[in-house]
Amino acid sequence: MNGLRPPRIELRSVVRTYAAGGADEVRALQGIDLTFAPGEFVSVEGPSGCGKTTLLNLLGLLDAPTSGELTWDGRPVGDRPERVRARLRLEGVGFIFQRFYLLPTLTAAENVELPMRARRLPRADRRARADALLAEVGLAGRARAYPHQLSGGEEQRVAVARALGNRPGLLLADEPTGELDTANSRAILDLLERVRAARDATLLVVTHNPEVAARAGRHLEMRDGRVVRDVAEA
Amino acid sequence: MRGPFRPRPLRHARLQAVLAIAAMAAAVSLPVVLVSVGGGVEDHELTAIENSGYQIVVSAGGEHGIEHSHALAATIDRVTGVAEASPVLSIAIDAFPSGGSASPVLAEGVIPDAFSATLGPTESDLFPNPLPLGDPSDTVHFANGSYAGPATDDVLVSSPYAASAHLTVGATLDLGPTASQSQASPYTITGIFGVPKTILGPVGAFALVLPLSDLQVMCGYASGNGTVVPDASDTIQVAVSGAISVDPAKLSAVESAIQSQVPYYQVTSLTQEAAQLEAADSVLTGFYLALSSVGLVVGLLFLALVLLRRIEADRRSIGIRRALGLSRGSIAMSVVVDGLVLAAAGAVAGLLGGYAVVAALAADATGTVQEAASLAVFDPRLLGGIVAAVLVLSIVASLVAARSALRIEVAEALR
Ligand SMILES: Nc1ncnc2c1ncn2[C@@H]1O[C@H](COP(=O)(O)OP(=O)(O)OP(=O)(O)O)[C@@H](O)[C@H]1O
Ligand SMILES: [Mg+2]
Repeated sequence: MNGLRPPRIELRSVVRTYAAGGADEVRALQGIDLTFAPGEFVSVEGPSGCGKTTLLNLLGLLDAPTSGELTWDGRPVGDRPERVRARLRLEGVGFIFQRFYLLPTLTAAENVELPMRARRLPRADRRARADALLAEVGLAGRARAYPHQLSGGEEQRVAVARALGNRPGLLLADEPTGELDTANSRAILDLLERVRAARDATLLVVTHNPEVAARAGRHLEMRDGRVVRDVAEA
Repeated sequence: MRGPFRPRPLRHARLQAVLAIAAMAAAVSLPVVLVSVGGGVEDHELTAIENSGYQIVVSAGGEHGIEHSHALAATIDRVTGVAEASPVLSIAIDAFPSGGSASPVLAEGVIPDAFSATLGPTESDLFPNPLPLGDPSDTVHFANGSYAGPATDDVLVSSPYAASAHLTVGATLDLGPTASQSQASPYTITGIFGVPKTILGPVGAFALVLPLSDLQVMCGYASGNGTVVPDASDTIQVAVSGAISVDPAKLSAVESAIQSQVPYYQVTSLTQEAAQLEAADSVLTGFYLALSSVGLVVGLLFLALVLLRRIEADRRSIGIRRALGLSRGSIAMSVVVDGLVLAAAGAVAGLLGGYAVVAALAADATGTVQEAASLAVFDPRLLGGIVAAVLVLSIVASLVAARSALRIEVAEALR
């Protein structure tokens, strides 16, 4: 079962302000205008606190803009009801969180199966798919381990496998190789690229790693909530 | 970058779950024990009344009871619908077994044939039939208002007493109204009777049955030369004939016919008595329920608290599920199922625990407690109701907690 078709994503004057109006107001995004075409591989770089995760949360429909417009194929999605956004997340987005967010009470395999289960994939199918994905991230032998029994890098790879279960059209990866050595980083990037290529998915990767960034076809650089550089390779 | 999200150890959560189950189990077992035993005793007493051979009782308050009982029993015998009227005098006397130690026993003075005719189906198996007391109608010793005739001096002893005092048929037993043996006179044991199972324990089991006139004379309720208190008894037990006993209207007609003969005594039917007993027992059951409700409520509150705390601790996990796109409905459902499993485990443990307590009391306790526990009846409707209440509350608590966890923004819940 494939996820939703990769959408064309547009952000128009998107602002995200935390604790708006309060004394501790943080203007995390200060007017973002961006367009992502289906199948693009985009790297996002920038210093800590510049708004990378905030941007990914908006793109992944985990969060809504304080002002401005977010559309998928021209349809506004930023302010749809949570029920609709949850459905779009489940079927359209694969999120690799900066802090992994594995469920501590589920095994690695169960974590990977969870989004597939929510889409009512038959048990045997999702088992097989979870096993295949775990094998692809090099964790074939650790399917039954609980997150607290895994190393940081192993947890990160489980998180990658989980994001790919429903074959999403939009892959958002927040430092997916932050905990990984060079060999594993490459393997994960290879996997993400393969998935992207297989169904023309859009892939956004936040990274501090120049080697990872170099593999993208388009490079964004952010600073203080703004995009200061946006270069596409020829 | 910030370190990976690592939850605190699960041990805490597991301990909480175990405590919640234990609290629920304790709370559920309380009503199981109280109400089951109470209900069982009630059922037993009602059955005893239903199995009684007589349906109407004439009784009198005061020290001397019913006067002229032989004549009155004959009068009641003639009332239409009456099968047999049996006067009974119950009084504690002293028995002096030869070679044994003196002890108080409960003596019942009866007219042998009338007594036999008013025994219920379970009781009649316990007594020899006819009663071997010499004078079946008690009219040889007592005739025409005088006690001039020869007394039979026969007595029946209960099997527990016979066993305890080593008494056998044919032996002599001295009986007297006081602890002084000089006032006692010798009786011949002509039979032994069994004692019905009673929750009163062994106290009432040391009993004698002898002719009414003998007991009256012994205890000064009558004397051979001019009566002191003429021909007294405590009650007259009346058996009705045939189908009247199961027809409340006819039974109450017989009851009023008897009442009109004895306006100065109290006439009650056992159906009334059963109704009164039931009313009294329902008050008691209500009290048990009220008492155990307190325990149940405390247990339920504790469960609700634990469920709330678990969901509070699970906030992050709920946030992750939502971030992955799982619907709120499915998340709420899994929270509810989680709570239900806890509650059900507690309820089942409580049922089993309560049952085990009752079984242990029935096996190992002594006296009234043991007797009562062995009569316990487990009413599936009541137990089902308790379990249902526990489950419903867990659902409500889970839903309330899940609602608050599901209302916050996804990004917020992830933090
Ligand atoms: N929930 C929040 N409430 C208030 N401020 C927030 C919140 N989340 C993020 N911020 C602030 O918004 C800004 C952008 O945060 P964001 O997490 O997007 O940064 P980032 O670029 O991902 O940084 P890093 O590379 O360290 O992950 C930061 O100043 C941060 O402190
Ligand atoms: Mg970040």
